[in-house]
Amino acid sequence: MFSKHVSSLTSAYYHDELPPEQSRRVAEHLIGCVRCRAECEEVRFGAMLAAQLPLIPAPDSLWREIEVALDRNDRTVPVRSGPHLISFLLRPRFALAAVALIGLVVTVAALLMNHTPAPAGASWDVARMRGAPRIGSVLISDKAKLGVGQWLETDPNSRAQINVSDIGQVEIDPNTRVRLLETKPTEHRLELERGRLSARISAPPKLFFVNTPSGVAEDRGCAYTLEVDDAGNSLLHVTAGWVALQLRDRESVVPAGAACATKAGIGPGTPYFEDASASFRTALTRIDFDSVATDRSKTLDSLLRGARVRDTLTLLHLLGRVDGNDRVQVYERMAELVPPPQGVTREGVLALDQQMLDAWKDKLKFYWSDYSSPPMKFFKKAWIRSLGALHGLEGKR
Amino acid sequence: MLEQTAILAEQRVPDSRLQDSIDARVIRACQQGDREAFRLLFEAYKDRVFSIARYSLGDEAAADDVTQQIFVKLITRIGQFRGESEFTTWLYRLVINTCLDERRKRRRFLPVSEFEPLPPMTNTANQRSPETGYARQEVADSVRHAITGLKPKMRLPILLKYVEGLSYEEIADVLGCSKGTVASRLNRAHKALARRLGHLRDEFEL
Repeated sequence: MFSKHVSSLTSAYYHDELPPEQSRRVAEHLIGCVRCRAECEEVRFGAMLAAQLPLIPAPDSLWREIEVALDRNDRTVPVRSGPHLISFLLRPRFALAAVALIGLVVTVAALLMNHTPAPAGASWDVARMRGAPRIGSVLISDKAKLGVGQWLETDPNSRAQINVSDIGQVEIDPNTRVRLLETKPTEHRLELERGRLSARISAPPKLFFVNTPSGVAEDRGCAYTLEVDDAGNSLLHVTAGWVALQLRDRESVVPAGAACATKAGIGPGTPYFEDASASFRTALTRIDFDSVATDRSKTLDSLLRGARVRDTLTLLHLLGRVDGNDRVQVYERMAELVPPPQGVTREGVLALDQQMLDAWKDKLKFYWSDYSSPPMKFFKKAWIRSLGALHGLEGKR
Repeated sequence: MLEQTAILAEQRVPDSRLQDSIDARVIRACQQGDREAFRLLFEAYKDRVFSIARYSLGDEAAADDVTQQIFVKLITRIGQFRGESEFTTWLYRLVINTCLDERRKRRRFLPVSEFEPLPPMTNTANQRSPETGYARQEVADSVRHAITGLKPKMRLPILLKYVEGLSYEEIADVLGCSKGTVASRLNRAHKALARRLGHLRDEFEL
């Protein structure tokens, strides 16, 4: 029997990819080793899941598109040998016609530069707000159409506004480059390569998306600004409603009054309210994006000490991003600020039981709701102060 | 042989049967510029190539673009295929490299996602009865979503294993790594899927 564990061989064992002797030894080891047997079961389950992966049919139009591309590659313009052609064109009676033709071509080109051709297929209306935004290489006069696959770009002095079908508007700031990826009744999607946009969308969730180099923003009926720098990092500020940011297995759900940074190669950070203290936000940035930090526990401790009741937005997201003792500390601080509701247990939260997390989140949302209007601010402060007194948490905001 | 393959394509038989009929003669015909032979090659592999592109890049428009690029590259470069490796190894290497180039160009790190949620499958091949069919579709949708959430190093071996049906050695050839590396990445991917979709254990009676 192996003296070492065999967990690294379990997939190869499951797929029968091991040589017979090695496979026999793994089988023998599994009989006596509970740990490896458990890992083998996990791998077996994962393999059964992966086996459900369906083949996605290619679109029917694909062959035609390929043929067009191949025909384009094959086409060549026959050119006669130089001397004959040049001497022919230099004859006086053709020279004048050639000059007139060149003049005509230049004039048409100038006209086309200022005329944005309407794209075939679905498109969004675009209005020039200032300066000279362009779609592709064509300047927008006043109004234009942005088709699927087309780029809209603004320079330092220009701005534009896009009507997102009938669900809202997006304003494009200077120095911004966006592309329309999809527009159909079940999905509208933009790509923000760099720059900044502000969106006001009235639509159900999972209808409007913005792809960035470091994550996808999914609108959940809201207003927000999203900016991307040249390195592909982005910053989202939500002013109304909710926005979800996702990349790989990281998702951050950001409410009004909160922000979330994303970093290329890593994905969304943890959302935070913009009125959180500077030290809280600094600690959070280190936890999110500084993978080489050696004093992580100390940084977490500093963050937790500076957390207010509404910073439970950040802490709830952090629960799934830390583990071991760090997760225990996050839980304990959250429970101290806003005790979990009935039915939500410490063990369940630490095991990231989704139902329990959702139940606690429903309670916490009250403390995250928009503080922008003064009457609401007053009412909520008074209400929270009274709740705090009830739970012995006076002064912990 | 070409006529037989053409009949199979006309009948819309499963890709696997078409692929079996793609032999050296079809490839040679493609190398000689036979557009019909290339059409047969396309029909045999289009869904598999598109699936990898779709799972790798995260959105349909990008997958469409990249699949086109791959097949155009295939026909322009097929003259370079000398038969020193399996045709499928050569093809999937082209697919993976084109997808990786496209991702680098977009400065995006997938999943595709990771990015864009895939639309629910309406493929009736997965449905037997309304109850079991719906459950199977839900499982397939959850798995697809989870796959797009994997890091590329784990996602690519999963796609090559379960979409393309390649062996560990073939996957290693395509990815240019060792068989041990493939085994290690698949191990991690299986465990990641198991952790993420633990709530589906009942569906598999584990």
